[in-house]
Amino acid sequence: MNKVIRRIQRYQGWFGAGAAGCLLVGLYLGLIASPPDYYQGEVVRIMYIHVPLAHTSLLAYTVLFGGSVWYLWKRDPLVDNMCHAAAGLSAVFTSLALFTGMIWGKPTWNTWWTWDARLTSFTVLLLILIGYLMLRTFIDDPEREARFAAVVAIIGFVDLPIVHFSVEWWRTLHQPQSFSLRGVSISSDLLFPLIMMSIGMSLLFTYMLLVRTQMLYLTNLLHAKKGRLLGQFHLSKADS
Amino acid sequence: MTFLKVIRWMVWKDLISEVRSRETISSMFFFALIVILVFSFSFSMDQQAARELIAGIIWVAFVFTGIIGLGRSFSVELQNDCLEFLQMSPASKGAMYLGKVMANLIFMLTVEIILFPMFVIFFNLDVIEEIHILLLIFFLATFGLSAVGTLFSALTVQIRAREVMLPILLLPLVVPVMIAAVEATKGALNGDPLAGYWQWLELLAIFNVVFTVVSFWMFEFVMDS
Amino acid sequence: MTAFYLRWGILVVGATILVVLTYRNYEENLATMTPEQVLANSPTEEIRVKGLVRGGTLRGELEEGRASFDLAGEKDTLPVQYEGPPPENLRELKTLILIGKWKTPTRTFQAREMALVTNYGFVMGAYIVGLIPLALFLFFMGRKVCLLYDEIKQSTLYQSESDTHVDSR
Repeated sequence: MNKVIRRIQRYQGWFGAGAAGCLLVGLYLGLIASPPDYYQGEVVRIMYIHVPLAHTSLLAYTVLFGGSVWYLWKRDPLVDNMCHAAAGLSAVFTSLALFTGMIWGKPTWNTWWTWDARLTSFTVLLLILIGYLMLRTFIDDPEREARFAAVVAIIGFVDLPIVHFSVEWWRTLHQPQSFSLRGVSISSDLLFPLIMMSIGMSLLFTYMLLVRTQMLYLTNLLHAKKGRLLGQFHLSKADS
Repeated sequence: MTFLKVIRWMVWKDLISEVRSRETISSMFFFALIVILVFSFSFSMDQQAARELIAGIIWVAFVFTGIIGLGRSFSVELQNDCLEFLQMSPASKGAMYLGKVMANLIFMLTVEIILFPMFVIFFNLDVIEEIHILLLIFFLATFGLSAVGTLFSALTVQIRAREVMLPILLLPLVVPVMIAAVEATKGALNGDPLAGYWQWLELLAIFNVVFTVVSFWMFEFVMDS
Repeated sequence: MTAFYLRWGILVVGATILVVLTYRNYEENLATMTPEQVLANSPTEEIRVKGLVRGGTLRGELEEGRASFDLAGEKDTLPVQYEGPPPENLRELKTLILIGKWKTPTRTFQAREMALVTNYGFVMGAYIVGLIPLALFLFFMGRKVCLLYDEIKQSTLYQSESDTHVDSR
């Protein structure tokens, strides 16, 4: 078995334990120990889950971008497995961030959905990721699949800042800037649980990435082994 | 062959085959005509509503016809294994990309320039003064569409379900082009001062430069055999 | 496989403790009483009362943080004396939560702070939507990796057999 996979197997537990620890402490601080916000009241506690999810989805996309560039450079199949894993996780984190954002939007803005710059760019991000994952299912040759997927991921990553800026300009044109989250300063009581949850979420992502990379690698390995067995089977049949 | 020569031959070959078959432009044109018809049925518009909506309608029609043209751009290369010859050719892949972008740009702009007078007639638009600005907007936005679309056309033509995957991959990526083109067109049609929507033209220019460079580089990986 | 389930068991226990702590915190610090309950029980410790500011009763200097009004429940009303930071949300016909003490001698509610009524369903919903799918996703992924390792070990055994078969040929 691959040396890297063996190393992942040995060290992944630390990330998992770290993530579980940070998240439990963060949840305790966020749900129980921290005071309610002056303006938003208790609803502000949704921030401790929503903002880390959103951060982590961007982190996951950055990992996907880095992995894609690395893959096109070195053509290592394990890196491609990592990209595939990161894309799936980024899609999960992005959709969860959108859902929690909608739940936060209802009591604070009194609407489930608004074409806010961030919401819109996260939706575009989700669509790009779904396109990426769909593309991978439509290609049979694994080498070509990896190559094309890397190209799509890189183009999408370059596109994201442009999407964000264009949507922001567009929104300031069409809607009054009534409910922007920008400018709301976060006091240190609220900041500490947020940082704790962000670190925990990033560690959780790293752990999930390691597990998912292993899963995809092992699935491919098993596939290859079965193929080889089947090949031998056919061979021996043909010979006898 | 030098770089520029490859570009010129790519454009030339696409134009020649288009002039002989007239398949791409005519299919794009009739599709767009149907789109216009469907839109005028689905929104019964007075002058005021037309002003608000027309820029969006124009660009939805242009983008969908553009996708048809882009999809055909590489699927015609499948006949007689032309795609494999392109992949095996020692000529610069980047030059091929630029040639295809030019060819697609010419096709799409041709269709847009034929279609636009129909919009003017059907929806009673008033455009004589801003026509040069509108042409600039059409050029910039279509170039952006063609720059990303050509790359994805070359990519999706090599996979299963290519007709589905091209719009799914392309449309989220060209969201900035759509927004900028619609806003700028709306500004021009309303006769606003140029300074009011100049930033959208800048955005289109930035998009075009960024994506021509990135796609130019990525095209080699897509056409790797 | 056992170690895997053990780890998840510990995690579930930790999460349960957290849920219980959160719930108790909510019961002790955030649960509210109605004006009727206050009048009936006359509690002496600091409490939270939820009610509607009755129309036509609000008076006092809001900018200086002093006000008096009647807080209406289902049947009874509670006279309230507010003294604290200038309230932003104090308006007539608005449902609010008041934090303060019940003074039995004067039969007024001495409030020192007020809060908006929170729909805790949103907070709970966000955490459930955020964390449960993530946990389930990770659980099934981890389990699949364990199963795959087992299967690969077995298929290696099987392969060596078939190797000998090929050799014996």
